[in-house]
Amino acid sequence: MEAYWEGMKAIAPELVLTAFALLALVQDLVTKGRNSRNVGYLTLVGLGVTALTLLGQESRAEAAFGMVEVDAFGRFIKMFTLASLAVVCFFVMSDRRERKHGIGEYYFLLLGAAVGIFFMVSTNNLLLLVLGLELLSLASYALAGFHKGSKASAEAALKYVIFGGLSAGVMIFGISLLYGLTGTIDISEMARLSGDGTPTGLAHQLGQSPIPVAVAVTMVLAGFAYKVSAVPFHFWTPDVYQGAPTPVTTFLAVASKAAGFGALLRFLGVLFVRGDAQQLVADYGTQVGLLIAVLAAVTMTVGNVSAIGQNSLKRLLAFSSVAHAGYLLMGLATMDEAGFTAAMYYMAAYYFMNLGAFGVVLYFEGVTGNDDIESLRGLGRKAPLISIAMVAFLVSLTGLPPTIGYYGKFLLFTACIDGGLTWLAVVAGLNSAISLFYYFRIAKNLFLKEAPEGPAPAAQPMLTGLMTAFGVATVIFGIYVAPISDWVRSSLDLLG
Amino acid sequence: MGLEAYVVVATVLFGLGVACLITRRNVIYVLMGIEMILNSANINFVAFNRFNGDGMDGRMFAIFVIILAAAEAAVALGIVLNVFQLFGTVKPSDVDLLRE
Repeated sequence: MEAYWEGMKAIAPELVLTAFALLALVQDLVTKGRNSRNVGYLTLVGLGVTALTLLGQESRAEAAFGMVEVDAFGRFIKMFTLASLAVVCFFVMSDRRERKHGIGEYYFLLLGAAVGIFFMVSTNNLLLLVLGLELLSLASYALAGFHKGSKASAEAALKYVIFGGLSAGVMIFGISLLYGLTGTIDISEMARLSGDGTPTGLAHQLGQSPIPVAVAVTMVLAGFAYKVSAVPFHFWTPDVYQGAPTPVTTFLAVASKAAGFGALLRFLGVLFVRGDAQQLVADYGTQVGLLIAVLAAVTMTVGNVSAIGQNSLKRLLAFSSVAHAGYLLMGLATMDEAGFTAAMYYMAAYYFMNLGAFGVVLYFEGVTGNDDIESLRGLGRKAPLISIAMVAFLVSLTGLPPTIGYYGKFLLFTACIDGGLTWLAVVAGLNSAISLFYYFRIAKNLFLKEAPEGPAPAAQPMLTGLMTAFGVATVIFGIYVAPISDWVRSSLDLLG
Repeated sequence: MGLEAYVVVATVLFGLGVACLITRRNVIYVLMGIEMILNSANINFVAFNRFNGDGMDGRMFAIFVIILAAAEAAVALGIVLNVFQLFGTVKPSDVDLLRE
């Protein structure tokens, strides 16, 4: 009975989230769709209560028969998820086109996806990882197709579900091979040395032949690559980002991607980098790091080059998010603490600049009715505050000072050079230069082109205010880096 | 029968699933391909558990994958139904509004 309550305490945030997900659904049913805003407020309260539960947890524990790990790393990704979901909820509430549909399900699916994220980033058990990942995926498929009458939305959902199903299948097959090779589905067991010092698990297999291990690990990586939209599993990204409702696109670009990276970081960290990893396994990890380095280089190049010719703002940001997956992978490729810290810091930077950029897209979609870059012409004078904020986000996405994105890139580049991957830092530098072209095109349309005749856009004070705050934060945290970098450093505790 | 036989069957089934996914032009076949991939993993899990694992990990995993496959099929078919109502077709190649 004691163990049962310990387990319940370890998953208290998840339980709270689930309860609020169900409450949101019921509230919408009871009020029959009137006052849909109240469901949004309820969801925000739910996120707040979950955050409090999360902060009240023990700093480190293992529960539910070793399936759930409570640690600072998981807490980092969970807080990240809650913070991005709060903004996504706000987007849903301020999006004028969202109100007709069953809004209760919308919030239910968002919170359900968050429960999936919570489980997938706080476990060393591959079964729980897969279940969390699939919970996130299934909710995302439904969210992408949420506008039932919209052809674009339906197409986005279809492409998402096909790619998602394939990569989940490949990943589960890879896990079955890992299980066959090591006899366990717990990644911390796989890498651990047995009591009498003989090589066990992964090291034993590597001693015989590394090829089966390589096949299994590559297949598992495929599942992660799909979640973070890394090449060659990025094909769904532009179509889904463009077709899905904008708040959902924001969720996929920020929360879902960070969750993928969180789970991947834990997978690589615990399996290959951690202190008790055996020598053979650690050496093998360096080779996996090289594979990831190549993936990172290809991903950022493909993302940036494809983004150049795009006319749809959401499609452009989709390719930009592919490119940023590449930058984030740089941090993982080094397979050391500095690289992982840099990747986590860049995630935090990504939160500000990408949520900001999507918020501005949402605002302009409400003004112009579409997301063409050309239709942004001259809006810089009609909506100055939000346009200036957008420029801050674009500068940060390019990685120029004095923004948070600059410091993030600085950390990633230093980690790469220190980790012996100078070529990757060079590729990333070139890529940042390429990205300047298409980010600058947005700013040029906002400020340097004449506006067509027309009335000034309707004021959306709440959205404008929030986006301005994000713009200010992007710059402030680029100058005062200590608060976020301290938090990140103290959060990386899974390697010890 | 040894472990090898099971692994061979699973690998062949996995290959067939991927082939089905890539070559078939109808969404229903694509979903069947995904189902085959998941079931090939199931054969692996159960076989590995039987031959060299102690405990129930592999079997538990297989049971959960079966549940997963059912949930995924339900969501996917719902999406396909919606696509069919809007486009009048279930061929992914005919559903391509989103491109530059």
